[in-house]
Amino acid sequence: MATTQTAILQRCETRYFGPVEYDEASVLVFPDGIPGFEQSTRFLPLRQPINEPLVFLQSLSDPNVCFVTLPALAACPRYRLSIAREDLDALDLASGRQPLIGSEVLCLTILSIVENAPPTANLLAPIVVNLQTQRARQVIQVNSAYSHRENLPIRVASCS
Amino acid sequence: MRRRAGESILIGEDIEIQIIRIGPSRIKIGITAPKSISVNLKEVKLVREENLAAAQVHSVAALRGMLERLIDGPEGDGI
Repeated sequence: MATTQTAILQRCETRYFGPVEYDEASVLVFPDGIPGFEQSTRFLPLRQPINEPLVFLQSLSDPNVCFVTLPALAACPRYRLSIAREDLDALDLASGRQPLIGSEVLCLTILSIVENAPPTANLLAPIVVNLQTQRARQVIQVNSAYSHRENLPIRVASCS
Repeated sequence: MRRRAGESILIGEDIEIQIIRIGPSRIKIGITAPKSISVNLKEVKLVREENLAAAQVHSVAALRGMLERLIDGPEGDGI
């Protein structure tokens, strides 16, 4: 069993869940940050069975920054990517075709949850993660017909 | 203001917008501006503002209440 490696766990503060231990291999790296949060280049995806299918994206440089996201296909089962070539290049993805959600990329949409208003999902600009490299980017799909404020179905779980 | 491919518009002294190519549904534009002026798609501004708003969320208790509204199992038993 010489090849067995023990993951070295790190610890971080989180916005919603107190201190959390994580494995460095699970960190998503955003080389350019996220628009509005250019200094946050490393995010930890947090999932909890009780909050399925939500994914919380916790900034590792600012404990106060945590996005609530939903896998794009859970927000919209027929979601189609239209990533521009320069974004495909930046993510080290093959150009000339769109990557497959699930097997090649993780695709998350940021939720905007405002009191007294229905929650919306930013389907115009999803977070796309190259699953081979953990490299991530918020991709603005200027050629798509999606809005940055799409209404969500109320029962997310039943349409995923 | 009407322009053809190859023609330009000047804004002030040092910003130039050139119409480079006109296609059936899209045009290619060249923009020359001082480095102090950021040149971005309008969508970048929308996405930045939306990100800032999305990160504004609330206390854990408020988040929990809103998630209960959003997430519901197929049987309707909630979280």
